[in-house]
Amino acid sequence: MLLAYALSSGLTTGALYALVAVGLVLCYRTTGHMNFSHGELFMIGGFLAYTFHVMLGAPYIPSLLLAVLGAFVLGLITDRTVYRPLIHAQPLAMVMATVGFSFLLKGIGRHFWGGQGEVVTFPSPVSPAPVWVLGTPVFPQQLLVIAGVAVCMVLLIAFFQFTRAGKSMQATAENPHAAYLVGMRVERIYALTWGTSAALAGVAAVLMAPLTLLTPDVGFILLLKAFAATILGGLGSMGGAILGGLLLGVLEALAGTYIHSSVQEVSAFVIIMVVLVVRPSGLFGARGLRRV
Amino acid sequence: MSTDPERSGPSGLMALPWLAHLIGRRTIFLAGLAAFAVWPLVFNPYLAYAANLALIYILLAVGLNFIIGFAGQLVFANGALMGIGAYCTGLLMYDGGWPFWLALPAGAILATVIGLLVALPALRLQGLYLALGTVAFTQFALWVFIHWEAVTYGNAGFVLPPVSFEAIGLGKDMGLYYLTLLLVVVFVAMAYRISRSRVGRAFIAVRESEVAAEALAIDLTVYKTVAYGVSALYAGLAGGLFTALLGVVVPESFNLFQIVLQFSMVIIGGLGSIAGAIIGAIALISLQELLRGFQEVQEIAFGALLLLTLLFFPGGIAAALKRWVPGWSETHHQDGGRRP
Repeated sequence: MLLAYALSSGLTTGALYALVAVGLVLCYRTTGHMNFSHGELFMIGGFLAYTFHVMLGAPYIPSLLLAVLGAFVLGLITDRTVYRPLIHAQPLAMVMATVGFSFLLKGIGRHFWGGQGEVVTFPSPVSPAPVWVLGTPVFPQQLLVIAGVAVCMVLLIAFFQFTRAGKSMQATAENPHAAYLVGMRVERIYALTWGTSAALAGVAAVLMAPLTLLTPDVGFILLLKAFAATILGGLGSMGGAILGGLLLGVLEALAGTYIHSSVQEVSAFVIIMVVLVVRPSGLFGARGLRRV
Repeated sequence: MSTDPERSGPSGLMALPWLAHLIGRRTIFLAGLAAFAVWPLVFNPYLAYAANLALIYILLAVGLNFIIGFAGQLVFANGALMGIGAYCTGLLMYDGGWPFWLALPAGAILATVIGLLVALPALRLQGLYLALGTVAFTQFALWVFIHWEAVTYGNAGFVLPPVSFEAIGLGKDMGLYYLTLLLVVVFVAMAYRISRSRVGRAFIAVRESEVAAEALAIDLTVYKTVAYGVSALYAGLAGGLFTALLGVVVPESFNLFQIVLQFSMVIIGGLGSIAGAIIGAIALISLQELLRGFQEVQEIAFGALLLLTLLFFPGGIAAALKRWVPGWSETHHQDGGRRP
């Protein structure tokens, strides 16, 4: 009973971590940089949905779409203001620029949506009463999250398999110079990548908002979970990010249930440190470390 | 290191040769030192407190500059190491009843030891992996500060017994201020000595190219470990002084904002420039004190400042010093932060 409950809640949060991590990896694969403001894109996406749905009273689906659109635009802005000007800079400059951008967004989020420590609640679009699945109580919102994440993954796979833009994105990730030489508009693909990556964070935020509380500080916490998921799955691997996210969610829930509730918060950091030290290529390692 | 086209012809104040003799780095440093020395005698206690905080951040920024500016390692562990110094100093005084003059070095030594322990696994990592691993370490340390309540008193923290300087006939504020100033002078001088020594040159070689450094028989393991240790020593010492200045130790002092504040100082100051780190620390602490109480404005201001510096002034303050102050050299400064 306890185990089943831990597993169901773990899989739900794990699915969200996976969605955020996939966005992060998408960006990393194509641009070669980790976006440290990815968590803040999530936070702003959530608050946009809150603005449309709760403050302005729009129905759930249009609010979701508007919030995702908003996150997409924010991704394009990141591309223009941070990525494009620093494209030839050192990794340090890019990391710190995205960190700076994340603080900018965090401050903006705090300014518009609540001061320090304040949290806002987001009503669930489905009934709050639990339903019984295989003898376990499951909240409909949890099922909605898992279904939503699954739909996103299928859409993303279809995007990569069947659309020209998706294929160009993969080609650019593989070798931007060659992609440019065969006539792909690499700059547009970068912009599209940043936008898609941010939109995925926006979807995750809208799905997650009813289950948790939105605060301006939620972004950094989620970013670290997404880092842990990507490191666990192997940096740069999409499938690894999904599995890593699910695994992280379940591990956290189990640690929180059977060890101590405070351990839940720390497991992500411990996973990052242990995996980096013991097996830096992750469980499903894509690339090894460059050795000197 | 990049070449420096501004150096070729006279520009700015360089056009007035007699000024070049008057305004040199040494003169400016002495003037700054004199200003800090008389500051608490002239201004009110709040401004003296702010100046004391700026001095502590000079230690932090100069220390962080060793690891990211000189050795080129993207390490985010400084917030945690500062916290370890602060907690160790504070707890030895609060629980152990140690005098401050013993607890402060003990905190600095513990931070150095932990910094060296962090170096062992971190040496295997580079670039992004190193950044992620050390961010995780800092968050882990923060978690320990919050949840190891039996030792750290958890989220609420604890209030220190006031530090006494009666032995030398000074009040708490004045005593701490001049102690900090003395330590800043000693440790900044030490930083310059290290930067000019074999060790400092080895750091720069590691930063510019690890392969080339190894080819020059520079032992990467040894010199990177030294960089971690020196950086941690500065952070731990500053943490202890920070504790004494605030009189209270709470975990939230050592969160992500702390790291971003210190990184901003080094980057806005100019990577690899000690003078830049000093000016960056003074400038950002002034800004922080001006914006005290407006958390969101602070976040926006620091985020925007960091971003704008990287976008438009990648050389930071050090590049401006090189350009506008005659006779100013910044041999270790990494101008631009861009690939050649």
